[in-house]
Amino acid sequence: MKRHLTAAVAIGLATAMTLTACGGDDDSGGDNKSIKLVVADYGSGDGSTKKYWDGVIANFNAVNPGIKVDLQVINWDDIDSQVATMVQNDQLPDILQTGGYADKVADDLLYPVEEVMSDATRADFIESFLPAATVKGKQYGIPFTSSTRQLIYNKDLFAKAGLTAPPKTWDELKSHAEKLKAAGVATPFGLPLGKEEAQGEFMNWMLGNGGGYKTGDKYTVNSAANIEALTWVNDNLVKTNLTEPNPGTKNRKDVYTEFYGGSVGMVNSNPTMLTQIKAKYPNLNFGTAPIPGKTGPLAETLGVCDWMMAFKKNGNKDAIKAFLDVAFNTENSLKFQQENSFAPVTKSVMAKMVADPANAQLKPYIDLLPKAKFYPLNDTAWDVLSPKIKEQLGLAVSGKTPKEVLDQLQKEAETAVQQQK
Amino acid sequence: MRKTSGRRRSLGPLPWIGPAVLLIALIVLWPVVEMVRSSFLRIRRSGVVRGYNGTDNYERLFDEPDFGQVLWNTAVWVVSVVGITIVLSLALAQLFNQHFPGRRVTRWALIIPWAASVFMTAIVFRWMLHHGYGAINTLLVDLHILDEGRDWLGEPSTAFPWMIAVGVFVSLPFTTYTLLAGLQTIPGEVYEAARMDGASPWRTYLSITLPLLRPAVLVAVVINLINVFNSFPIIWAMTGGGPGYETDTTTTYMYKLKVADIGESAALSVVNFGLVIVLVVVYLRVSRWNREAD
Amino acid sequence: MTLKKVLITCTAWLVALIFVLPYAQMFLGALRPSDELTDAGYLPSRFEWSNFINVWKDSALGDNLQVSLMVAGLSTLLVVVVALPAAYYTARRRYRGRGAFLLLVLATQMFQPTALLVGLYREFHTFGMLNEIWALVLVNAAFNLAFAVWILTAYFSSIPVELEEAAMIDGASRLGALRRVTLPLAMPGIVTAVIFAFITAWNEFVVALALITTPEKQPLTVGIDSFLGEYEVQWQYLFAGSLVAIVPVVILFAFIEKHVVSGLTAGSVK
Repeated sequence: MKRHLTAAVAIGLATAMTLTACGGDDDSGGDNKSIKLVVADYGSGDGSTKKYWDGVIANFNAVNPGIKVDLQVINWDDIDSQVATMVQNDQLPDILQTGGYADKVADDLLYPVEEVMSDATRADFIESFLPAATVKGKQYGIPFTSSTRQLIYNKDLFAKAGLTAPPKTWDELKSHAEKLKAAGVATPFGLPLGKEEAQGEFMNWMLGNGGGYKTGDKYTVNSAANIEALTWVNDNLVKTNLTEPNPGTKNRKDVYTEFYGGSVGMVNSNPTMLTQIKAKYPNLNFGTAPIPGKTGPLAETLGVCDWMMAFKKNGNKDAIKAFLDVAFNTENSLKFQQENSFAPVTKSVMAKMVADPANAQLKPYIDLLPKAKFYPLNDTAWDVLSPKIKEQLGLAVSGKTPKEVLDQLQKEAETAVQQQK
Repeated sequence: MRKTSGRRRSLGPLPWIGPAVLLIALIVLWPVVEMVRSSFLRIRRSGVVRGYNGTDNYERLFDEPDFGQVLWNTAVWVVSVVGITIVLSLALAQLFNQHFPGRRVTRWALIIPWAASVFMTAIVFRWMLHHGYGAINTLLVDLHILDEGRDWLGEPSTAFPWMIAVGVFVSLPFTTYTLLAGLQTIPGEVYEAARMDGASPWRTYLSITLPLLRPAVLVAVVINLINVFNSFPIIWAMTGGGPGYETDTTTTYMYKLKVADIGESAALSVVNFGLVIVLVVVYLRVSRWNREAD
Repeated sequence: MTLKKVLITCTAWLVALIFVLPYAQMFLGALRPSDELTDAGYLPSRFEWSNFINVWKDSALGDNLQVSLMVAGLSTLLVVVVALPAAYYTARRRYRGRGAFLLLVLATQMFQPTALLVGLYREFHTFGMLNEIWALVLVNAAFNLAFAVWILTAYFSSIPVELEEAAMIDGASRLGALRRVTLPLAMPGIVTAVIFAFITAWNEFVVALALITTPEKQPLTVGIDSFLGEYEVQWQYLFAGSLVAIVPVVILFAFIEKHVVSGLTAGSVK
């Protein structure tokens, strides 16, 4: 019996090998007649991201009719693993737009930005992004779009609980939440610590206590300030039932959906919520305010930035440069940020957005940009650590203690640093 | 071939089974080889391959602090879903084998979870179990069984039973139908004889129906073992394995590992395949399949 | 006797109700207005039928439906064309390598494409078939082949070879006998294999998600998944889209339910 199986496998293998030998790579070389553009999907099933890029490509082809742009829009959940597979198969994109870039720098896959972007375009980026965009003194990451965080609250629920102003400190946040609870609000404070975005929600709290993922060059995930922050959240909001039940398993999109439905009093918000509310929940009466910290509102808040990057391939440099100059011209960049209610990455777009009265609600988010703090995105270890934080942080509010969880994550961080060397 | 030498069969089995072997070799075996190879490679997060690294990926996998928990979850998941499914399906097959008004229509209802994608079924259960607005909670509160909605999927102790329930729910149609088919093969005379002997219905079932159903049960168990072990959408849609890895099985854990380390994830794929083989072989051994097989 | 029958009928209908309920919930969810998605009531205050129209208009569901039909249809056809001769020959002949072939089939059954994504991606890249619907047709056909071969082999084995021989004595050619006698008798088995291959392909999700990146080329399962957006879950559209995917299969299944039982019968005798 065994021999038969071996025979069958052998036949299968032989066939597979033969076929592998026949089909060779033919399209990974330098071909400057077309460039491959891979981007993340920001829409929700409506094709808006593709429409946007089709527009940019049309603009580009109006100036550069000879270069074909091959566009691939990939869902956020899958884009990183798909790109990794492309790299593994020597099928590099020319330009990629996604959430991180440092792993590609570590393996020497990217052009420094100065080689693929004109000086004028480069000088336009907002300075607070540059540290996160730079590895060993050279800029590789091209900021594409950004956002900051603000507290968003439901004014009708606040009125019901007799509250007039948003909270400024953690203690106020707690007493506000208690009043909301007393007034019958199901979820006074929405706390999405589930695996979708736990690393972001946690950072809001660390910053409120003077903590952070890194101190200087070293990871300090389990610093005293971080442990204290997470413990405060657990003791004062979670254990007292002032959040949704089991916040360690709840994702941002679910909590946001419930906020739109009017059962959540406050939540730390991404500016995209503004677009959603305007489009689908126009009756929702809401306000925004700076995120409360331990002793006062946060002056430096979490900034999130998504990036573009250019891959080194023979002979594609000029085409990339030409494309990026079109993609980052004020008109296109402005259009993207406006459509999605994101914050800008260039000073010229920022000036236009702030001046436009239509952006009154978005302006507080934009104003936070110059002092925003980013994840340690220029570090490859972060790419390995971040999914571990997303998966494990929720345990700190269900079952394990914050210290246990942060100690384990610190260990993961140190292993990641070792491995990425 | 010699036995059939009277007929012209110069090409042998090739034209008959060749296409099937070719399709399997090309589409199934090739990626399997690729997977095994990847499990010994050092693959950077960016996708760049940095040569072979021996058994490092396997060592890292077995060193993961949560791996033991995940293995245990997997065992509980597979044994409970398959076990409960078989028991319920035996009952359902008996029920739907009777003649009663509306048999056809009720059998159609049984089919729906089979026809619907598992992913969508899992999503609708998640929606019904929501702590604030889920219909199941609303109903339990209205019936005064609960004072307020419970967050069933937020705690592993209640999330896991619910996931097992959904796993059973989607496995029931196929299993019940297989057993219904098994019941068709039992000749009516056997029952006549039992009735003449004055055996009680329960005794008849135990001593006649069940043994004759054995082949059908065997098929149902083997197929279910494989499917349930590899099941991804139920857990992914309902809890995502959270909190932490407390509701992960090896299949969802593999998916999570892929984000940080493709090589380690490939190592788990290989381990997973080994586990499926062990499961099936052990089951066949225990049920002494060989004794009756050709 | 009558009491027993009443009891059986009631139980059966109750079971049927339990099986329908989640999908009835799905239907009600699909009809909720967007501002009542997170309300606890069993029924929405008004039925928003336009959800079905909007979901159709604002997404690529029309294209997705077409892709799903193509992928499920063509891969099923391929399964049948490839599995029929293999199963027939395996049932009728003791050839060298028969055991190996059956083991290979069983082994295929144990692999799930979820575990093999990286390899599959690499493979179709080599073929130059990434983002092509044909890649999905091939993958679904290959992974569903095992079950079809299994069922059909069992079914052909259960058809007495004498029937074919009798037809040949009457002057039919071997293929003629196969076509006129064996195939019609094997119909329930074929129907079962077809329905299995079709449903599995119709519901396949992970491979399509990995191999197909253009929204218009994605099957329904992937298209529907995109309603779980980055910042919001559009439950009503998710459910409306799901129903579009479920209803045709249930109807198809209901039509041939009877054959499925008799088709599986052979498999369970084996």
